[in-house]
Amino acid sequence: MAFELVVNGTSHTVDADPQTPLLWVIRDQVGLTGTKFSCGIGQCGACTVHVDGRAVRSCSVPARTAVGKKVVTIEGVSPDGTHPIQAAWTELDAPQCGYCQSGMIMSALALLREKPTPSDADIDTQITNICRCGTYHRLRQAIHLASDLMKRTARAV
Amino acid sequence: MSEIAGVNRREFLATVAAAQGAFVLGFWLPSRAEAQTTPSPNAVWYQDPETPEVNAWIVIAPDDTVTIRIAQTELGQGVWTSNAMMVCEELQCDWSKVRPQYASANRDAREKAPEWTLKVPGQGAGDPKGGGEPTFGNRDRTGVSGIPDSLYRRMRTNAASSVKDGRYYLQLAGAEARERLLLATAKLWNVPVTELIAKNSVITHASSGRTTTYGQVVHHAAATPHPHPESITIKSPDQWTLMGTEQKNLDIPQKVTGKVIYGIDVRLPGMKWAAVKACPVYGGDVKSYDFEKVRSMPGVRSVVQFPIPDPALTRGRVFSGGVAVIADSWYQAKTALDKMPIEWQIPPENAAFNTANMHATLVAALDQPGRVRVNHGDVDGAFARAAKIVEATYSTPYLPRARMEPGNATVLVTNDRVDIWIGDQSPQETRLSAAKITGISEQNVYLHLCHLGGGFGRNGNGPQAEHAIMIANANRGIPIHMLWTREEDFIGTTYRAMGVARLKAALDGDGWPIALEVRTGMQGGGFGPEASFDVTSRYFVPNYRYSSHTTTFHVPVGTRRGVGQAAHEFYRESFIDELAHAAGKDPYRYRRDLLARTSLPYKDDMIKALDMAAEMSGWGSPLPKGKARAIALEERGAEGNGMATISAMVHTVSLSREGKVRLERVDVAHETGFGLVNPLSVKKQIEGQITWFYNDAVHQASNVADGHIVENNFNAFPISRMSEDPPEINIRFFPTQHWLLGMGHDRATSVQSAIGDAIFQITGKRYRDLPYAKHDLRWS
Repeated sequence: MAFELVVNGTSHTVDADPQTPLLWVIRDQVGLTGTKFSCGIGQCGACTVHVDGRAVRSCSVPARTAVGKKVVTIEGVSPDGTHPIQAAWTELDAPQCGYCQSGMIMSALALLREKPTPSDADIDTQITNICRCGTYHRLRQAIHLASDLMKRTARAV
Repeated sequence: MSEIAGVNRREFLATVAAAQGAFVLGFWLPSRAEAQTTPSPNAVWYQDPETPEVNAWIVIAPDDTVTIRIAQTELGQGVWTSNAMMVCEELQCDWSKVRPQYASANRDAREKAPEWTLKVPGQGAGDPKGGGEPTFGNRDRTGVSGIPDSLYRRMRTNAASSVKDGRYYLQLAGAEARERLLLATAKLWNVPVTELIAKNSVITHASSGRTTTYGQVVHHAAATPHPHPESITIKSPDQWTLMGTEQKNLDIPQKVTGKVIYGIDVRLPGMKWAAVKACPVYGGDVKSYDFEKVRSMPGVRSVVQFPIPDPALTRGRVFSGGVAVIADSWYQAKTALDKMPIEWQIPPENAAFNTANMHATLVAALDQPGRVRVNHGDVDGAFARAAKIVEATYSTPYLPRARMEPGNATVLVTNDRVDIWIGDQSPQETRLSAAKITGISEQNVYLHLCHLGGGFGRNGNGPQAEHAIMIANANRGIPIHMLWTREEDFIGTTYRAMGVARLKAALDGDGWPIALEVRTGMQGGGFGPEASFDVTSRYFVPNYRYSSHTTTFHVPVGTRRGVGQAAHEFYRESFIDELAHAAGKDPYRYRRDLLARTSLPYKDDMIKALDMAAEMSGWGSPLPKGKARAIALEERGAEGNGMATISAMVHTVSLSREGKVRLERVDVAHETGFGLVNPLSVKKQIEGQITWFYNDAVHQASNVADGHIVENNFNAFPISRMSEDPPEINIRFFPTQHWLLGMGHDRATSVQSAIGDAIFQITGKRYRDLPYAKHDLRWS
């Protein structure tokens, strides 16, 4: 069954069962592979995308729930990889294998939009994604740095 | 040239390359330039005429972009960056224009290593000017180290050895290319080569001021052999300018934009997807299945039953037989497979295994004589005159790797060729598997390496590649992308073996050990005692006996980060803490004194590590109730004169009255040896391993019930999140006079004993079986 999905500002006509999890429609129908599959049960957050600005674990929601809404994936964070959150991650050399990092960035970006200056406690309660390489230490610093950079960028604009 | 569903292979590969974008990350592929021209029959198939290679590691483009071929797999350890740094240091090229690319595994097998890479320069581990002691191990291709003297020497990614083994020949590769660029320029300009200087990809003739760039002379260099390559030397650490500096990983920009191509991201024209179910009990197989029940479901194409992968291809490990459903999309394949009735044929002897009876077997084995591996002095005599005897039995559970990227591989089998796209830590083994399974000559098996979403212990020893090859072989001409669910990944992984140890010490009247008897029990093949990770006394004990007991269980065990050594360090360091407490002595001072009494060659380095970690942590300063510090030594190789890696850590731990453990602070003293190639990557590896062993210590265990692994997804198998990360990690390096053995898999093992000792200090209770979270840790 065909339906329309707006991903990163572009409308895609998708031919899939609307019950298919959003993750698989993004990866296989829309063709954006930056969003990752890992647990399939909404535990790890590797599949995190934004739906109308909210962080959603896309492996566990049917694609139909995103119809008429704005879906943003890691590929839509910035056209050239220069968003302050990406700059912060790069500056701290935060990723190791990198597999969880798309989901981490999408989760952290949602947090920073809700709370531009998150406390460590905010990070603890709201960033519940899994990283098996153990990059948490650098990620916490990167979230705080991204917070600074985003505020500075906002001022500059 | 094979035809695949009407697509010419060259066009087909070009399409794949184009799909990845301009920066092709992850694949070794013929470039578009090659794909678009008809090569002459004599053309070397891996070379691009526009960008000639200087040697097998180095390709320089006219714009001075330097492509450096990397023979190890990037799985987060930073090998794409550290390997490239070692080449660039000698090549003297512009670091900002370096592009890593995977080396071809097929070419590695076809060509012999250049003669000038075969001899390790220098005098071993203690010679700063030399290549250290690379150990290629046994040279059986199905063993640990790959094909003897193959082009890239070693395509494995294992045992924390990428820098240790690769450094000298990667430095040589850079130096050889630099010398040939200089020789070619000297000839062009008709000046003595000694008057030329190479720096940052620019060659300068000092007296005339004339300059050129690598890109402008590379064609000449490619055609200029070095007359005496055996005379080329490598820089020692005092001459390093790039090596030894903190360099950000070259692939981070792709990792923060979702552009990295992992195996799971491979897309080929005409590709179909396979979802798999293997018998959850190892050694089991498919009894029956009913494809007719799901044949008409959307997208479903076909079904393939596959047998237990030949154990000869999976290093003796017996996995399971299974069945795969093939569909247009993976989700369709998985949905159909979930609905397909399957009955399993399960060996009753394997179904009889469970955690309790396996553990009991191991513990009972400790009462048997075992195999004596070390026996010096008069252990029994010393026990007879002991003032005090301390005995403890420790247990460690089965543990999986649980990497984030579930097992997958994309395979295309045609009648004369196999192509495999996979993130793989042992590509040559996988090529051998493909040849054996398909009957196609191994020369025609092409493996295209992708980045791995976590490795944690040689990925290739699970059957992900074998599953995919068997399924694709039954569907020749169609590219098949096989992807395990998370639940299947827990079946397909190898486990760190469950282990037990009984340590018994005789103490004299002052609390010093006069004898130590150690017995360990572990499943055979588990990389425990048989890999020499003895629970050897690094601390002085005059009478010492160590015996090991191996048992046979059905769970496939083997390489997992830290292997059996991590468990052994938990036993050893926990017991030293127990002895110190029994003696009424400070655990740091107790360790220090016992190290000082040994004649171990690196004892001063070990003492230095303990002293530095203790000092960093404020050892001895008061802590509030509910907090405690514990210290431990981490070493590998310190029993001999060879390469070694030594560190010590102090862990400051809190335990709430409700029983919640928190690692509050970690102080790390780590040696550099003669030099770390990329200290930034080393720091990241230390930080990551603190989290890794924290999880091993506090949370993780894989249990067996009715022969199958119980915890098969992240709801049942806990992994710590951000909220449990230690708020403070301090890392300090200190120089030592030997080359390092590597540090990617056995640092921070101290978390295990340290948390146990901190719990003991706070509550007075000692827990000797991991993980700690299964115990009631409340106190008042």
